[in-house]
Amino acid sequence: MIRSESLTKRFGDNLAVADMSLDVRQGEVFGFLGPNGAGKTTTVRMLAALIAPTSGAAWVNGHRIGAANEAVRASIGLLTESPGLYPRLNAQDNLGFYAKLHGVADVVGQVRKYLTLLGLWERRSEPVGGFSKGMQQKLAIARALLHEPPVLFLDEPTSALDPESARVVRDFVETLKGQGRTIIICTHNLDEADRLCDRVAVIKQRLIRVDTPAALRHQLYGQSVRVRLQQTTPALREAVAALPFVKTVTEIEGGLRVGLDDPAEQNPALVRALVAAGGAVQFVEPETQSLEQVYFDLMREAEATA
Amino acid sequence: MNPQRLQAIVSKEWLDMRKNKMVLAMMALLPLLLVGMMLGTTYFMERAPESDFAGESSGMTMPPDIAALGEKIGMIIMLNDQYMFYLLLIPMTLPVYVAAYSIIGEKETRSLEPLLATPVSTAELLVGKAFAAVTPAVLLTWLSFALTAAGMYLIATPIVFTYLVRPVWLVSMALHSPLFALLSTACGVIASSRINDPRAAQQVTALFVIPVVGLSMVVLMGKVFLSLSLMLWAVVGLVLLNAGVLWLAVRLFQRETILTRWK
Repeated sequence: MIRSESLTKRFGDNLAVADMSLDVRQGEVFGFLGPNGAGKTTTVRMLAALIAPTSGAAWVNGHRIGAANEAVRASIGLLTESPGLYPRLNAQDNLGFYAKLHGVADVVGQVRKYLTLLGLWERRSEPVGGFSKGMQQKLAIARALLHEPPVLFLDEPTSALDPESARVVRDFVETLKGQGRTIIICTHNLDEADRLCDRVAVIKQRLIRVDTPAALRHQLYGQSVRVRLQQTTPALREAVAALPFVKTVTEIEGGLRVGLDDPAEQNPALVRALVAAGGAVQFVEPETQSLEQVYFDLMREAEATA
Repeated sequence: MNPQRLQAIVSKEWLDMRKNKMVLAMMALLPLLLVGMMLGTTYFMERAPESDFAGESSGMTMPPDIAALGEKIGMIIMLNDQYMFYLLLIPMTLPVYVAAYSIIGEKETRSLEPLLATPVSTAELLVGKAFAAVTPAVLLTWLSFALTAAGMYLIATPIVFTYLVRPVWLVSMALHSPLFALLSTACGVIASSRINDPRAAQQVTALFVIPVVGLSMVVLMGKVFLSLSLMLWAVVGLVLLNAGVLWLAVRLFQRETILTRWK
């Protein structure tokens, strides 16, 4: 659905995006993670045919950027970082304008559908300048969806929102999953990315790593379990380290962190070994690194490589 | 050029304008003042004795046909011609502020990026915005002229009214005013798409009224006499100028620069 080959963007001497090659599948929710200035928004703007790449090529919904920009823009919905609504116009007029620009056949019906879906129908006649940030963001999402685009770009959809509004927006994006749309999300909110995205790309001008959040964790840390013990002793630790399938053992508060290849297969043997060595096992639970940890470690790795 | 998209832009601009009552009030104020001044001046001059005008037109070079009407009537007609030039400034000055704000305003409300992410073309966007800014100004100008003509019919001697509605001014109102409006609007759009501060754009676009004021002075000094052929040549010149400026406006509208450089 979205493909880019060595997409590069320079602003004068400043390299904003370098050599970005991606392949985002139809129906996928894909996240761009990276610090400010990493090139997330620039990449989205190139893919939305708003700015031209310096070199490289990209296709959105089969249309090549630069050669068929109008078709590209007809295929996408874009939620920008700030809602960008017309404050003096009411919700209905704001959406109606965009529906007409996109050539929507049933303007009134589509506007009503999305205002209702996002809980704004009752306030359709009010100037949107008086709406809360959360309501404005919801309206901006409705605007991006009015023409039922197969590709949706969401640039920082929940930044600057209070937790309640952010949750409403996140929940709505979750409902969009599974509707067959390809969704690209730029975000600083790593929990949000973890929850919403099928795959994430960690970028800092260049593509550092792209995969599912689970695969990134596995690549970085393997799989580990946390064994809670009534008492942790050096003997228990040595007994675990002696097991041939154990990759790492780390003493942590209340027990041990044990790195394994296949916890489902190896946990019983691990527990038997601990009991045989006199350990009192309370719990064995899978340990999950947060995507935040993955992100920071990947960034550190990228900085060290650079 | 997609007519549906063009119509959507024009309708939205008008709707936004209608919601901004202050802009509309200020747009109507200048023409109303001008009409009032023109009618008031004529009313009082008409009622002043002929002797008050003796020797007053010595610094003026009147066209022979107007000079033949006597000093008082001649001066009233010459003064009304000056007012008509000022009336022509209305379609130049009113839309220029709307046009100058058209792009910068979108940028300020951060609505430009989602707008540019639609299939709308640069030409559609600029033509739509220009048309939306031009139309109310031209309608106000025509309304002002109609009010002035009606007022003159009621308060002035028939010859003064006849000179006001002579072909020179009818052509000017019918053709020059929309062309002037379009020209200044296109210049406003250029300024607003190249300058990222609305005040600076308005300052620049205000410069475009200078040639018209200059022409009115030249006429008052008797260096040029208004004639139908002169006005028609001006129409040809304005059409060419408009085409060039609109072409330039589309060429100079750099989506990328506006999106990435303006803060």
